[in-house]
Amino acid sequence: MDLQALALTLRLAVVTTALLLAIAVPLAAWIVFTRSRLRALVEAVSTLPLLLPPTVLGFYLLVLLGPRTALGRAWIHLTGHPLAFSFSGLVVGSAIYSLPFAVQPLVAGFAGVDTALLEQARLLGASRLRLLRQVLLPLSTRSVLTAAVLCFMHTVGEFGVVLMIGGNIPGATRTLSILIYDQVQDFAYAQANRTSLLLVAVSLAALVLLYSQRRPALGEARRG
Amino acid sequence: MSDRRRVLICLLAVFFANLCGAQTTSAGPELRIAAAADLQPVLPPLLTEFENQTGIHAAASYQSSATLATQIINGAPFDLFLAADLSFPQRVIAAGLSEETEPIAYARGTLVLWARNDGRFRSLSMDALKDTALKSVAMANPEHAPYGRAARAALEHLGLYDTLKPKLVIAENIAQTAQFVESGNADLGLISLTSAITPRLRASGHYVPVPPDAYPPILQGAVILKHPAGTQPAHRFLDFLASAPIQQQIEAAGLAPAK
Repeated sequence: MDLQALALTLRLAVVTTALLLAIAVPLAAWIVFTRSRLRALVEAVSTLPLLLPPTVLGFYLLVLLGPRTALGRAWIHLTGHPLAFSFSGLVVGSAIYSLPFAVQPLVAGFAGVDTALLEQARLLGASRLRLLRQVLLPLSTRSVLTAAVLCFMHTVGEFGVVLMIGGNIPGATRTLSILIYDQVQDFAYAQANRTSLLLVAVSLAALVLLYSQRRPALGEARRG
Repeated sequence: MSDRRRVLICLLAVFFANLCGAQTTSAGPELRIAAAADLQPVLPPLLTEFENQTGIHAAASYQSSATLATQIINGAPFDLFLAADLSFPQRVIAAGLSEETEPIAYARGTLVLWARNDGRFRSLSMDALKDTALKSVAMANPEHAPYGRAARAALEHLGLYDTLKPKLVIAENIAQTAQFVESGNADLGLISLTSAITPRLRASGHYVPVPPDAYPPILQGAVILKHPAGTQPAHRFLDFLASAPIQQQIEAAGLAPAK
């Protein structure tokens, strides 16, 4: 068991999940409540990584954000190294790749909140931020939890993007999924089996935990 | 609504007709080749020429030798395995998937150090690997790719492996190694000569051969896999590969003769 790969994978998943929630909560609230014509486009773009193969993302991250473009050079100027072959590069890749898994549950959750409650809060003079923090989020905890768990597990399970932009560096980009791939290539089936079983067990436990949250009965959600 | 449904049914019908059509067009013998990634720039014109000469349609899948060996041992339907070393074909033989007892060496690979023209290394020598401003060196995975094994051996021979270790970027196969350095993401790359002398890499960069005494020769082995319909097409391809004009062509593409 490679503890370094396990620690790296967990770190990547934690950082990606935190980053994604910070992005997806305001984004999902905007999608649900905006009257802008851009809503459909923004929602479509945020869902896009769900149907694009990871190779598309890997290709663009490697080439469009590589040192040969202005954007890539700006990144190097900021961080001191190219996006590829670095932990921060994996965070960017994972965040894009898992974005739909954060946005979708949050949009569903926010859309289920009773608009009358929001209207009352607004009439009482609550700011947008306060609406989000004290009304919307408390009424959508299950959706937030779902989004967080899905982002986390999807990042743990990511493979294609990491294979394309990672460079298999121990402690920086060699994640569990890459490690399993390596172990299979090396005919180390027993090790691959151990690593895979660990992933299956952890993933299953996380999902059971998620689904064992009591679902609000019909009509109960409206009252909160 | 019913109009729309009719259009949909028509589209589906066309779609399925195409699917069925695609399955019936494969007439004549076929040869499926599992080819090491260093052959990716070499093999395609040879496959066309082979088909013109023999009427046998040959198609190749390119991966690291280890990936291909794993796939073959687990039942991938290939007729011929062209690896980048002898050990992976030997594994396939040991798994009882071939009538042969030894892989046939069909070529010898050459490892080169490559850099982009617009990068830091205008005039390139092996000393570039000692440059302190060097950020990253791409090489293939030594466990999966024979060129990666050669690269590690060469770096160890030159006494550079331990100092360079934090700067090594490991690609899954030798074709990805070339892509890491060609795209500018890595400063230097230890790649195959077959990649380095493609028109694209010739235009964008330059290379020096890694001293041949720094690494054990990359002897590339072929093994013919058992096939219910017989191994005739695979045998014919190996004969074709060994013929004088093709050997010349292969050498021009960066692979030395095996002997």
